This record gives sequence, structure tokens and C-alpha cells, in this order.
Amino acid sequence: MSDHVDGPRSIGDPPADLTDLFVFTSPENPAHTVLAACVFPSAGEDAIFSNIITYSIAVRSVTVAGVGNSAKFQPANDEIRFSFRFERLERDAAGKAVQHGVCKLPGGRELSLTVNDEKGSWTPEGDVRVFAGLRSDPFYLAWIAAELKKAPNFLQHTNVLCMVVEFDTRRVLDLAKGSLFGAIAETVPPQQRSLIAPAVPRIDWIGRPEQTNIRLYNPALSGIHDLRDLWNQQTPFAISNELLPLFLQRLKDSFVDWDMRDGKPDWTPEALEANANVFLDDFLLFDVSKPINDESHLEIEKSTIKGLPYQTGGGRTVDANSIDILLTWLVNRDREFLQGGAAGATKPGMKVFPYFATPNTDLQTVAESVELAATPDEVWSLIGQFGGAWHPLTARVKLTGTGIGQLRTILTLDGREIVERLEAIDDAKRFFRYTSIAGMPVSQYTGALEVKPKGSGSVADWRAQFLATNATDRAVKVMVSNLFRTGLESLKPRFGVAK
Amino acid sequence: MTTKVEPDDPCPSATDGEIAAVNLESARRGAWARFAQNPGLPGVAEAVVDHERLALQFLGDLDALDRLDELASQFASVDESFRAALVQAEVVSTAHCFDDARGYLAWAAQIGAPREAVERQTLAIDQACGAELDTVLVARRWLANASGRLEDLVPLGALLADLEHFAEADAVYRQAFSAYDDVSPFPLAWVCFQLGMLWGELVHPPDPGLAILWYRRAIAYLPAYVKARVHLAEICASQGCTGEAEALLLPALSSRDPEVLWRLADVLTAQGRLEEAKRQLNAARLGYEQLLGGHLLAFADHAAEFYAGSGNDHRRALELARTNVANRPTRRAVNQAHAIAVKFD
Repeated sequence: MSDHVDGPRSIGDPPADLTDLFVFTSPENPAHTVLAACVFPSAGEDAIFSNIITYSIAVRSVTVAGVGNSAKFQPANDEIRFSFRFERLERDAAGKAVQHGVCKLPGGRELSLTVNDEKGSWTPEGDVRVFAGLRSDPFYLAWIAAELKKAPNFLQHTNVLCMVVEFDTRRVLDLAKGSLFGAIAETVPPQQRSLIAPAVPRIDWIGRPEQTNIRLYNPALSGIHDLRDLWNQQTPFAISNELLPLFLQRLKDSFVDWDMRDGKPDWTPEALEANANVFLDDFLLFDVSKPINDESHLEIEKSTIKGLPYQTGGGRTVDANSIDILLTWLVNRDREFLQGGAAGATKPGMKVFPYFATPNTDLQTVAESVELAATPDEVWSLIGQFGGAWHPLTARVKLTGTGIGQLRTILTLDGREIVERLEAIDDAKRFFRYTSIAGMPVSQYTGALEVKPKGSGSVADWRAQFLATNATDRAVKVMVSNLFRTGLESLKPRFGVAK
Repeated sequence: MTTKVEPDDPCPSATDGEIAAVNLESARRGAWARFAQNPGLPGVAEAVVDHERLALQFLGDLDALDRLDELASQFASVDESFRAALVQAEVVSTAHCFDDARGYLAWAAQIGAPREAVERQTLAIDQACGAELDTVLVARRWLANASGRLEDLVPLGALLADLEHFAEADAVYRQAFSAYDDVSPFPLAWVCFQLGMLWGELVHPPDPGLAILWYRRAIAYLPAYVKARVHLAEICASQGCTGEAEALLLPALSSRDPEVLWRLADVLTAQGRLEEAKRQLNAARLGYEQLLGGHLLAFADHAAEFYAGSGNDHRRALELARTNVANRPTRRAVNQAHAIAVKFD
């Protein structure tokens, strides 16, 4: 996944784990540029930033130093930097936890902020605005990468912590050297922390998406060492000369494998080497004089390797389909677009600040069970029929289709109609899983019914996870819980209660 | 055999413990939500196990064991690969059902689990059971030398402590503490706790001063660290500082760990608040019995200690201590059973 959980080291403290970096033209003001970095893969509702990490986004001017098979992007030595720091939790008057922070701007100005305040904070001069807080994860990965097989979005319904900086492009960037820039983000621990080991310069960093989890760590390459932590220890814009050959060789090996995933070679050895060289210089390229849109991600690199002048501002928007753009390039060199199994993230980006969609709320859970005297097979023979009408609140059930994907339309005694889809069933294990299509005030509903042996009898488990819609969480939980309990209780007279 | 640890020795800085605890809960729920949506997602069941184990170890969230059972059961119903077998091994191993864990590991190996993953878990089980300790020690030393990482050094330290090589255990723990270069407070709190245990309970004679120092550090890293609070409160109470002991235990009551109730009862007894003490003791007894009903092997040793002490039920104490020895005949388990037998002989 983009840079989600991209090394054993970053697993310890999830707010140190960078997931993504974005650069795009402000949808609200075309004279503004937006930089954003996200951390904490699969963050729950209460996720907060670490109080000892410095979260930085650095930008350097870049020149095109070579084209075609000599393609090269040369970053300048000087940089501007936006650095976020956060404090310990405080309690507001209602006892709710609140986190404050500060963003240090280029030139030394500081901008205070409150985490999760959607309005963000402006500088008095009105040239910079910042936000930090929980948002819906804009990244989506809908491939089983090893098999290049389409899949649903693996990051559906997940959140990340985002830091967003919007600034007046001309007032903040030095355009004297050109309009092409490279950006990286990094998470930096306090220095000289370890008592005996050398200081760790950073925990994680990111330039273009997927440098670590797809390009450097390709599980299809057998017997390889995981270089991701070593990569994360490198200094952005200045990878160790000693290690450059190691990383370059890994990229080349990885790219050869990616090229052949569809069985067709699309890359000459020279072009593949040029591609590896470009990706070795890992920063997110963007040109503020050209349009940055949902399709422009990697266009600067690709055109330059092809020996053509680039046409767009590259960068990476909130809605950019970065994974499919990358895979298409690596696998077939843009011969045919590879569209994964999802057309977008859980929620699209917003046209207003802070541009990243509101966070997804935690799924509600209901689980009920009953212990019965009968054997699991006896119980399953009744309730394991997806189209069975054994539930006392059910008037009748109509099945549409067969097997996985079939629909059951349940007409309840009080006249409601509920439509559910069978997602998985295993009669040997006495288990099925289904989703709700219509008729319940829920979304993202997944239910599962299972019968397991217990002692000389059995236990029937019925559970569901969902988001309440058009009703409170509590109301829907009570409704679902009552539904499950009524059904399971009705089994007791028929199968006996376990002693 | 005294190792000098000065109170003003610098400690590696880490993310604030309250933030880390909030984020652990956040990550735990996030992992469960992803698991519910698609139980077969790569790495998600394993992430749930990791988060639940952290919640159990540090936050005293004993319900984690039931949730882990549920996870293993659900995962096994959708995944027939070695992943499910490894997860089941880890789950039952967490509940100290080591024979079952070995069975799952054998099955995992048979259906293609990576050798390293099986060996890591086997090593942990052998160590927990006191089996083949010479071989385990060689393997632990190799792993610790190879990685130099805290997560490999601490198990080596624990094994050395079990083997009563206390000076070396102390050195290894402190190496782990000093070498840690990440920002999570959990590993640091863990090392501090182990050092507290080493000096407070394993070394003869104990050095309560050092134990207090390390337990305090563990709590400073992670205020919600239930076990560190309990152990420190025990020392404070033994030194007559019952007010401090009570203050340490009260914030841990929400964990539902019966040991908190038990130690609080002891403190209240020492303060002469006998009625309150009796209530806490009854609640502790009830808590232990509930836990033993669901996870006998996981709590046999702690409950044996309870019944041999304020729980005041010799027969139950001995029965539980023997159950524990039968499950994992470590030196500590045998000593516990022996001490209980002698005490009530």
C-alpha cells in the first residue's frame, strides 16, 4: 500500500508511519499550492499525533538534468520546510481530549492549530493556511499485486491523520530557478534519544507513492532482504552513495518482474534502467506553471524518460489513481491502462479546504449467540439455508439467483422488505456471510451466521457490523440486536438448551 | 552483584503514554473494522492479534483473550492457509494453551508456513514452558546478536532471568533499553517492567529501591500500565506506604484485572478499612473464578498466588499451582507449587 506500514520499524508507533504525500493546485484558489502528508494507517476515530515526532514536508527546486535513457532530475541543495509539532492531550471544559499543535513555516514563522479543526489556521498575512486531523484515507489499492488480479479496495472505510498546508505559490516558492519542484515528507524523532546507538535521523519518509511497498519490496522476488527500513533511514534528496547501487539493483530487479507480470516485455533494458534511475531519486515532482489534475501524476517522469517535454504539472491530487497509474507504467509502459477493482477511494476529495474527505465513523458491532443441546449439523440444517424462513419475524423469503451473489428478499411480519446478498458460505464449517442491500437503515453492513460445536451440543453465533444511516447508532444497534436475539431464542424450544 | 542505575540516568524519550494508549485503542478498533469487512485481507488478522496482545499486556484488558478466541474462530472459517494456523497458534499461546499451540504450529508447517515464523513461535513456547532451555538460550542469543533489537533482547533477558543469570539479564535488559531508537513507549515500558521484576522479585535478596525505580519509569512511559502499577503498589504497601499504593491502584481498577482488586484489598486491610477490603476481596475472587472459567491455563499461576495469599483457599491454590506446573513446568512454576504445598503443610 502506498507507504502504509512500510517497514518493521514503523509498526511500533502508527502516528510515525507515513502513508502518503500529495501536491496539487488548490481547488479553491488556483494561485495556491497544497502540500499534504498523511500518517497512521487504518486510524480509528480517536487517533492523534505523537507529541515527540516532527512531521515535515520539504520542497526543493528541481531541474531536468537529462532526458530519454539519461533521464535525470537534479534537486537543488536548499529547501523550504513546513514542520508540524503536536502537544500532549489537554481536556476541554467537557472533558473531551483536545490536541494542539504548531506548524513552523519557511522563514521561521509559526502557525498554531487545533487538531481536527476543519477551518484550519491562517497566517495573519493570509499566505499560508494549515490543517491537521483525521480524514478518510484518500488512497485506494484494488489489486492483489502478486497475481495482478483485481480486488475490492483494501483500504475501504479506513482513515488516516492528515496534515495539509496551502500557500500562495508565488509568495512562498522561489520561482527564479524555475517552476519544477520536488517534495518529500518525513517523520523525525528527537535526536540523541538512544543512549548507545547512533541517532536515528528519521522513522519514515516518502516521496512518490509506493517506493517502498511496491518498488523496493517486491515479494515476487524470492530470497531478498527487506530493504524498506534501510531505505527509510536514508536522507531524502541525498541517498547514501555507498547504498545507491544496492537500491538501484533492487529497483531494476523489481521492474523486470513488474514488466513481465502480464507475460509481455514492454521495457528495453536501457529504458528500464532509466526508469530505475529516475525512481531512485525519490521525490514527488510537481510543476506549478502547468496543470495538476487527477491524471497528471508521474507524467513529468514518464514524458522525460520517453524523451518528450512534459505537458502537465505532475504532482498528485487527492483523487489521483496513483496505484493504477504506476502499475500501468511498470507493467506495460502505458500500452493499456490497468484499472484495478475500485474506481476511487472510500470518499472522493473535497473541493474546499482541507480537501480531504471527512473521516469514516467506526463501524457498529452487534453479536448475539445461543447455546443449544442439538449437534451443530442439526442446527445448521435449519438456519444454514440462506433462503430459509426459520426466523419468527419472517413472513416469507424469496431467493434470486444461486450460489455466491444470490439475493434473498425477506418480507417481515410487519411488512418491511429487506434485501441481502450472500457473500460467502461454507457448509462444512457451518458458516455464511452476507451484506445488506436494502431495507435496513444501515450502510457497509456485513453479517455472519455460524454454528460451532460446544460440549455435546452447539453454539450459534450471529454477528454484524454496519454504519447506521438515518437513525442513531444506538437505535439501529438495538433493532439489529433484537432481530438476532429473537431469532436465536426461537431455536431453544426446537433444539433444546445446552446444559 | 549490584548493578548501578542512577536515578538521573537519561531515559530515551517516547510518545506520551496517554497518546500511545489512545492510539493503540484506535488502531485496535481500526484493525477489527477492516477484519470485519474482509477477514481474509493480508495482514489484518495478524494486526488484530498484535493490537489485542498489546492491550492485554499493557492495559490489562483481559477481555482481549475472548476477542482473540473470536478472531481465531472467525479467521479459521474463512482462511484455510497457514496464516490461520499461525494466528490460532498465537492466540492459544497467548492463553497459555501451549500443547494446542504446538499442534497448530505443526499444522502450519505442514501446509507451508515460513520456517522462520514457525520457529519464532516455537521458541517462545519452549521458553514459556521451560523446555529445551539450553537450545532456546542459544537461539535467543543468536537472534539478539543478529538484530540488536529490543524485541529480541528482552526475551533473551527474560530467559537469562529464568535461568537465574541475573547480572547478565540486567545487562541485556539495559542494553535493550539503551539501544531503543524508536518512539513507541510500549517497548520501553516493557523493559522497565522487566527490570522492576528482576530486582523486585527474582534476585535474592531483592533490591526494592531498584525495583521501584524501574517500575516508576515503566509507569512514566505508560501511565495505564496495569501490571507495573500493581507491582509497584505491592512494594509500596510492603514498605508501609499504603496511601501511595492505593493511589497507584485506583486508576487501574477500570482494567477489571482481579489482581488490582486483590492488592487494593490488601492495602485497605493494612489501613484498617476492613469492610471495603472485604468487598474488594470478594470481587477479586469472583473475577479470578470468571477468568479461570474461560481461560484456566492463562490465569492458573496468578490465581494460585491469590488463593495462597489473601484469597485464603489452600486447596484451590494447590490445585491451580499443579495445573500450572502440568501445563508449563518452569522453575518458577515448580517453586510456586512447592512453596504453596510447604506453606499449608
